[in-house]
Amino acid sequence: MSLEPLTLTDILIATVPLMLIFATLFAFTTWLERKALARIQNRIGPNKVGIPCTRIGLFGLGQPAADGIKMIFKEDIVPRGADRLFHLLAPILALIPAMLVLCFLPLNFPWIKNIQGLVKPFMLDGAVIFFFAITGLNTLAVFMAGWASRNKYSLLGGIRAVAQMVSYEIPLVLSAVIVVMMVGSLNAAEIVKEQADEYWFILSPWGFTAFVIFFIAALAETNRSPFDLPEAESEIIAGYFTEYSGFKFALFFLGEYIAMFAISGLAVTLFLGGGDGPGVTMNPEDQGLATEAFPGLSAVWFLAKIFALIAVMIWLRGTLPRLRVDQLMGFAWKFMLPLSILNILVAGFAWHAEQLDNTIITVITWVISFAVLYGAASGLNQLNRGKVRPREYKYAE
Amino acid sequence: MTLLGSGIFKGMAVTFRNFVGSYFHRERLPTNDYSWRTEGSLPQHAGDYPKEEGEQLRDTTTVTNYSRNFPMLLHDGSEPMDTIRCVACQICERSCPPQCIYIEKSTEKKEDSSGKMQFYPATFDIDVSVCMSCQICVEVCPFDAIVMNSQFELSTPNRFGGLLLHQGDLLKSNDYYHKIHPEEAAARDKRIADEKTAKEAKKKAAAEAAKKKAEAKAGAETEAGDEKKEVAE
Ligand code: SF4
Ligand code: SF4
Repeated sequence: MSLEPLTLTDILIATVPLMLIFATLFAFTTWLERKALARIQNRIGPNKVGIPCTRIGLFGLGQPAADGIKMIFKEDIVPRGADRLFHLLAPILALIPAMLVLCFLPLNFPWIKNIQGLVKPFMLDGAVIFFFAITGLNTLAVFMAGWASRNKYSLLGGIRAVAQMVSYEIPLVLSAVIVVMMVGSLNAAEIVKEQADEYWFILSPWGFTAFVIFFIAALAETNRSPFDLPEAESEIIAGYFTEYSGFKFALFFLGEYIAMFAISGLAVTLFLGGGDGPGVTMNPEDQGLATEAFPGLSAVWFLAKIFALIAVMIWLRGTLPRLRVDQLMGFAWKFMLPLSILNILVAGFAWHAEQLDNTIITVITWVISFAVLYGAASGLNQLNRGKVRPREYKYAE
Repeated sequence: MTLLGSGIFKGMAVTFRNFVGSYFHRERLPTNDYSWRTEGSLPQHAGDYPKEEGEQLRDTTTVTNYSRNFPMLLHDGSEPMDTIRCVACQICERSCPPQCIYIEKSTEKKEDSSGKMQFYPATFDIDVSVCMSCQICVEVCPFDAIVMNSQFELSTPNRFGGLLLHQGDLLKSNDYYHKIHPEEAAARDKRIADEKTAKEAKKKAAAEAAKKKAEAKAGAETEAGDEKKEVAE
């Protein structure tokens, strides 16, 4: 396949709708998150902002717009001692990589067909590697924000973020390795095609383990609760956000949610069959494009799966308390890392067993690998279990 | 051995029940919709906010049995200061995370509602602009003297002194407590009564044991005395 340069129209077709769609989804997700968290705590949540100048509430769907307007008109305060340039660059740098990787999700929007160039954006060989390389930049942005603010809390938040993101990137990548091993390609579209042909990887024991590890590490990568130590409000005010206000804060916020979409999108691509679903047939000849019952169906499936993952993230945020720093690091290095390495070995054996093309052997492999992985996980859990003491009141009794 | 991760799933089940339940059971909600009351019933100026506890209580549309705002001090009888439960032990003052309680202990003791001589707080202030409604003071108080109030319309035109609640503002009767948090108050009263009976039973048992011991001792002494006498003879 010869590489033809994309024309400017191609680039616009590929990127502008993505930005618009995901910015809208971001607004919707903030509303969804606030509503769901409120309901989890037996509150009502935003329900006032609807159509301006009337009392029509529309379940508070106007809330994101109101928030946006507030953010734009707020005063932008930069601390006196701050490094103005980097203080400004950090939120932009947080947003760009998140936006960038969206292009590499195998989303079959109907208008993708209009791209003239031979290569569709997500057909990049090595899209998975590219994804990890670009999202790694996020750490830099967070630390930049923490450092440039010249504030103790910001710096602490930045340091925590670096420690956490670097630790969790390893299990994240190692669990993605399983899929790459199984498919034999780093190309996102081929990964999806393979899953459409055989089975979604989440359905196999090693795939399920990898998915759970990936999801937990993704929570940590995007600073979601229960791994939101870098921005822990009750401990370090808001971490690296402390000195941000107005539009810069909004940019950070946007970047964080877009990163959530991006990493959920990668999880969907790797483990949940991408845009595969009823009414969609993946077409091997057509550069990863699908034959659909109606145009855009596979993109709808893809987005629905992303939203399912986001819903679980919100649910977890409403449920779990924040981890301590030592628990966080211990979990990454003593639990996730050994388990993901073992998982790679198991997946390797399983792949060879599957090559024999014998149903009985395949079934036996699946049972054995499930037992090995579950045993290893609970063994590691027992090893890492700390002593739990009952709560002590310092002064009473 | 339990299933790996079952604790997380249990927690998620709880939150899911809350999520669904809040749509179907209005009484689960700690606050009701307040801001869309009709124009006429809204306070117009800061000073208009109902200061009387009764006024807010009558307005059942705004507060439910599960809402809590700032702490209050309980007393048992008609004369608040004579029946105050607080003994100024200052445990709550030291446990309060944002340090918003200020207590001065009285210099002399005074009879409390049960007729026992106790210290009482000469000053008991809570700065509600600092209080974060965490309820820790309630949890640590060994005398059930401090509980959470649900009064929330505390706006005041005076932003310095007005938000510092003094003993007089904080003292509320147990009846009032029963009115705002019926279940919680009933449970608390029952626990106090149970503890009291248990204590009395224990005291009785201890007294009886002491009596027996004393008798036994007395008996032993007379015997010993007899022996001594014998030896002396
Ligand atoms: S309210 Fe309770 S804990 Fe606080 S000083 Fe009074 S008796 Fe002690
Ligand atoms: S509720 Fe919490 S913050 Fe308020 S007075 Fe009690 S301990 Fe202090």
